[in-house]
Amino acid sequence: MKKVLHVVLAFLFSLVTVLSLANAHQVNAADDSLQKIKDKGTIVMGTSPDYAPYEFLVNVGGKNRVEGMDVEVAKQIASDLGVKLKIKQMDFDQLLVALETKKVDMVISGMSPTPARAKNVDFSHIYYKGGQDILVNKADAKIYAKGKDALRNKNIGAQTGSLQYELAKKQVPGATVKGLGKVTDLILALKSHKVDAVNVEKPVAEAYASNDKTLTAIDGRYNLGSGETGTAIGFHKGSTTLVNAVNKTLDKIKKQNKTKAYLETAGKYMAGNTQNTTMIHYWKYFALGVGYTLLISAIAVVMGVVIGVILALMRLGKNKVLHGIAVAYIEFIRGTPLMVQVMFVYFGIGVLVQIPALTAGIIAVGINSSAYVAEIIRSGIDSIPVGQTEAARSLGMSKNQAMSNVVLPQAIKNIWPALGNEFISLIKESSIVSIIGVTDLIYQLKVVQTATYRGIAPIAVAMVLYFVMTFTLSRVLGHFEGKMNHEG
Amino acid sequence: MKDNVLLDIKDVTKSFGKNKVLTGISETVNKGDVIVVIGASGGGKSTFLRSLNCLSKPTSGHVYFEGTDLVTLPDKKLDEVREKMGMVFQSFNLFPNKTVLDNITLAPMKVKGMDQNAANEKAHELLKQVGLDEKADAYPSSLSGGQQQRVAIARALAMEPDVMLFDEPTSALDPEMVGEVLKVMQDLAKSGMTMIVVTHEMGFARKVADQVWFMDGGQIVEKGTPEHIFEHPEQDRTKDFLSKVLEQ
Repeated sequence: MKKVLHVVLAFLFSLVTVLSLANAHQVNAADDSLQKIKDKGTIVMGTSPDYAPYEFLVNVGGKNRVEGMDVEVAKQIASDLGVKLKIKQMDFDQLLVALETKKVDMVISGMSPTPARAKNVDFSHIYYKGGQDILVNKADAKIYAKGKDALRNKNIGAQTGSLQYELAKKQVPGATVKGLGKVTDLILALKSHKVDAVNVEKPVAEAYASNDKTLTAIDGRYNLGSGETGTAIGFHKGSTTLVNAVNKTLDKIKKQNKTKAYLETAGKYMAGNTQNTTMIHYWKYFALGVGYTLLISAIAVVMGVVIGVILALMRLGKNKVLHGIAVAYIEFIRGTPLMVQVMFVYFGIGVLVQIPALTAGIIAVGINSSAYVAEIIRSGIDSIPVGQTEAARSLGMSKNQAMSNVVLPQAIKNIWPALGNEFISLIKESSIVSIIGVTDLIYQLKVVQTATYRGIAPIAVAMVLYFVMTFTLSRVLGHFEGKMNHEG
Repeated sequence: MKDNVLLDIKDVTKSFGKNKVLTGISETVNKGDVIVVIGASGGGKSTFLRSLNCLSKPTSGHVYFEGTDLVTLPDKKLDEVREKMGMVFQSFNLFPNKTVLDNITLAPMKVKGMDQNAANEKAHELLKQVGLDEKADAYPSSLSGGQQQRVAIARALAMEPDVMLFDEPTSALDPEMVGEVLKVMQDLAKSGMTMIVVTHEMGFARKVADQVWFMDGGQIVEKGTPEHIFEHPEQDRTKDFLSKVLEQ
């Protein structure tokens, strides 16, 4: 009977999940997309700033800023619409989800308007034609001089969900295509010979080649259909009025050949970025990342403990309904990956209530942690012999008095170390929030990779920083643990 | 005569699932009585004792304590009644994270609202009674089993109970420590405390009990004075049990 209740509740949880996602697919009947932007006074651009010269991060006066050709285009659009421009950063493969769930109004991220994408997204006119290159290690330049035909039976890297990925799949027989979320990671894979070549757009390939002496850009010679040769701006499906307005700006840009000037501006920023590539020069990035990682972990652990205690009490209590809810919650949360939960809170719940990425990240990590904390507390309480409760009850203490005066003070000694471990693993696991653009340590690591064109050094720095955080914390917790054991 | 009845037990049964542990017990306990319950393991002795203060609620029947039926009492009232029914466990169940003194003062302060000084004074008095005042600041883990059990008795007495229930208080002790605990219990009996003691210590039963109850198969098979039970048992089951126990 109990089991049936659990199954039913777990099913309800999943149902809520599915329903709220389905909700995201509703299409507005009347097209008021342009009016809405004007009423709002801002237009939100989604982009994956790891794609110089299209978009990349620069550090100006200690602050991260997205720059590049796409940003210049977006600025022009915003000024023509008479609204402010806001930029949201996330991984490339999250962009279309963000568009669908209205986290962003438009996606400008070096994106090609392929027919497959056009099914779910309205595209503007093409504003830039770059072409498709392959990026290889300089030593191998001769082998791949012929472009795609030389890639047969090789390992090709491309951004997940990108046109380049599709091209490698469809036009290079026998090749193994490896997809990664960020171009920086792809470059790293190339340099460490995990892949033989990386498919990217021409301007990006050239940017990397000119900043890294060990790389060479080669024309990919792919057969490109319409919509595969250039980049366009993506909009929520059915935003005809907005697309038309934006197209006017794009036509103007094309007519005046402004992209050339944009690329020059981008080039200047890139040059500034690569002047000093020592890790110490980027300490502010890492410091900010550490700060966010600690902030997320600390708030999430408090949330986890508060909800966890409630869940544990529900699970230990006699009320069958509350018990069932607690068990279903714990099983469901522990049975699904944190990454999926993060995406669900940000994109899924975000459909109903707009929540910033940082808040969404904290909520997801906190909820995830609460299920584990509940189990830690429950097993801590269960580990106290039943004789302790009986002794307390036989002395006339009520259930609650026995719990708070006798059981909990003892249980806390078992709970504390496990809770400490949970906090430590939270610091590590919270790194997953970087996928929705929360600027934690992992995110900053990628930013520094992009900015410096150096792959491994930032990873090493982040690793050391994570270790310093967890090691310090475990020492501090160990100190308190020792103190507590000493007392009793 | 009725005023003298402390516990009136009526048709108490207890089942765990399909397993009937108590099959219908009706007895009375008068104020000042010392009852010793004997019987083989698995005969329901502990369950019977625990059903008296409703630590394990009877499946059916009634337990009238000073005129109130505990079985039908709401939980909150039951807590108040339990104060008056001290219990000593086989495994002592002292609170390991508290000193001896704090073990004793916890319930008087939390349940009775006694202030710290009064509770401490009372605790020291009781510790003297069980001969352990010098251990007031020790933690239970540093005490021997016999000492722990004496502290447990003091802890129960701190609530000034009207009856003391002992659930095999010496079974977990090394043989050389049994005596010190029985001595404390004997003194307690002399002081006029009503006691129900589940034990395998036949010597204690003979010496201290007003009545001995022999339990088997979830029932009280035979009861009477120690002399009756040990010298002239009538039931075969009683004889059989005693022959096994006394042989040793």
